[in-house]
Amino acid sequence: MISFLTSAWRAGLRSRSIQGILILGAVLVGVAYLSASFSPRQPRTVALDVGLSGLRITLVLFALFWVQELVGREIERRTVLFSLTYPVARGNYVLGRYFGVVGLLALAAILMGMLLWLAVLTTGGGYDQSFVVTAGAPYWITVFGLWVDAAVVAAFALWLSTFSTVPMLPLALGLAFAAGGKSLGAVAEYLSKGAEGDLELMRFAPFINAIQWLLPDLSRLDWRAWPMYGLAPEALAVVLGLVLAVSYVAFLLSLAVITFTRRDFQ
Amino acid sequence: MTVNPKASPWLVASACALAFVVSAERLKAVPRQTVTLELQVALPLFVQVFMTAGDRYLAANLAAIRAVIVTTDKMRPEDYRILGKVQEDASWLNPAHEDNYYTATAILPWNGELDAAQTILARATKARYFDYQPAFYYAFNLLHFKGDAAGASAWMRAAAEKLPSDDERLIMQNLAARWMDRAQDTDLAIRIVEAMAQQAKRKDFRAYLEQRVARLRSLKQLRAAAERFREHSGRPLVKLQDLVDGGLVAALPADPFGFGFDVDKQGQVVLRTSPPVLQKK
Repeated sequence: MISFLTSAWRAGLRSRSIQGILILGAVLVGVAYLSASFSPRQPRTVALDVGLSGLRITLVLFALFWVQELVGREIERRTVLFSLTYPVARGNYVLGRYFGVVGLLALAAILMGMLLWLAVLTTGGGYDQSFVVTAGAPYWITVFGLWVDAAVVAAFALWLSTFSTVPMLPLALGLAFAAGGKSLGAVAEYLSKGAEGDLELMRFAPFINAIQWLLPDLSRLDWRAWPMYGLAPEALAVVLGLVLAVSYVAFLLSLAVITFTRRDFQ
Repeated sequence: MTVNPKASPWLVASACALAFVVSAERLKAVPRQTVTLELQVALPLFVQVFMTAGDRYLAANLAAIRAVIVTTDKMRPEDYRILGKVQEDASWLNPAHEDNYYTATAILPWNGELDAAQTILARATKARYFDYQPAFYYAFNLLHFKGDAAGASAWMRAAAEKLPSDDERLIMQNLAARWMDRAQDTDLAIRIVEAMAQQAKRKDFRAYLEQRVARLRSLKQLRAAAERFREHSGRPLVKLQDLVDGGLVAALPADPFGFGFDVDKQGQVVLRTSPPVLQKK
């Protein structure tokens, strides 16, 4: 499995995706830097907020892109058959590729996290906010949470790739999964509080409640109130969120191994 | 019909040029369609969440930026209602958003959207436990727009608790105590300011609050007398001296602050907030 991981790493790093990270990272940082000028009272906080949103979107896009390139395309072109000639269980390929992607995502998260922090520090035009953003552990733990978020999306896309015959399907459904999983928290909360009396919407309430058993609530991995306002999340919420994510990933990976092992490449 | 092949492109070109010139000239007289819409759309909450791929913080930021860039001198009353909705939704998405509550309190109450502003400020008070300002603005709005002095004083005391330094806390608690002078229910005012005096840690501040309580007790006494005056004479009180002349009070009570008492246009006895102007003899 390790060899599949390292080969994934090398393939990912050699591809032009690293340039892509840096360009996208620069764009993200630029947008975050500029968004500070729309804030009368808290330019750094807004820059951090918008930057973290951009970071999440970028990590999700990279997760889907890398799964597509390192797994989906190999299956489509049947070059995966070369890897499968080795006398190892097919599951090793799936897991190795997944952890390779997750490693690449960690690298992307760290690089962009550093760039974003630089932008947050330099923006704001020297305005002294009353309430400052908190550096250090709160910020990097938030980046870690967003990385876990992208890892869950990667697992979902990977599972789809193992049985999908249409190349674009994992990408499209992966995006829908990323958006749906993250929206779930806010929508469920809105409906549980009565949707401000919107009866049309309340009809969806049982449906949304049922979906919570299928889709992970990815908004539980977003702890940005900590660096932004100094509001640390409850330890229990953090732990349960991580357990939720890791168990969902493990479940998807097991399914992926099963479908991939059974797959007939003709 | 035979046409000279060398002439026809030139003919076409000149005809088109003529048409262009004529239409440009005519258009100058036609008025332009102006689109002076400042804020017309407030999307449903869940749509805003989906549009940002589930990121409620981004949705809140987008809504707050929309609120910040409106030009209020071009807005009509319907626009303010929409602005109120947009900012209230932003507050739901991220109640701790500072720009949102700040611009909301600066714009909305003064343009007929007090409820939206108060909702936003109440949520911000809860979410930003380290920030005294939302409670402070809520208190001011209660006093200024609703005339609810007792409620405003309660929120002001809550805001005071969040201030870091003792001196600032004292200033705000003083303001809360002074606002109780305007409360309709003097019994409630007396109870609250007495409680504040008991809780005060500094002796000089406690003595000062007890003086305020004494003033309020005198006010209560005078108001009871004014009520009896109205029952006897059938008309509201005009000057305080009438109470002494009518024998309803022995003498006007002394005010420890030296400002004294006054009668407002409705015949209600009130506390003065400045020394009386001396009559020239």
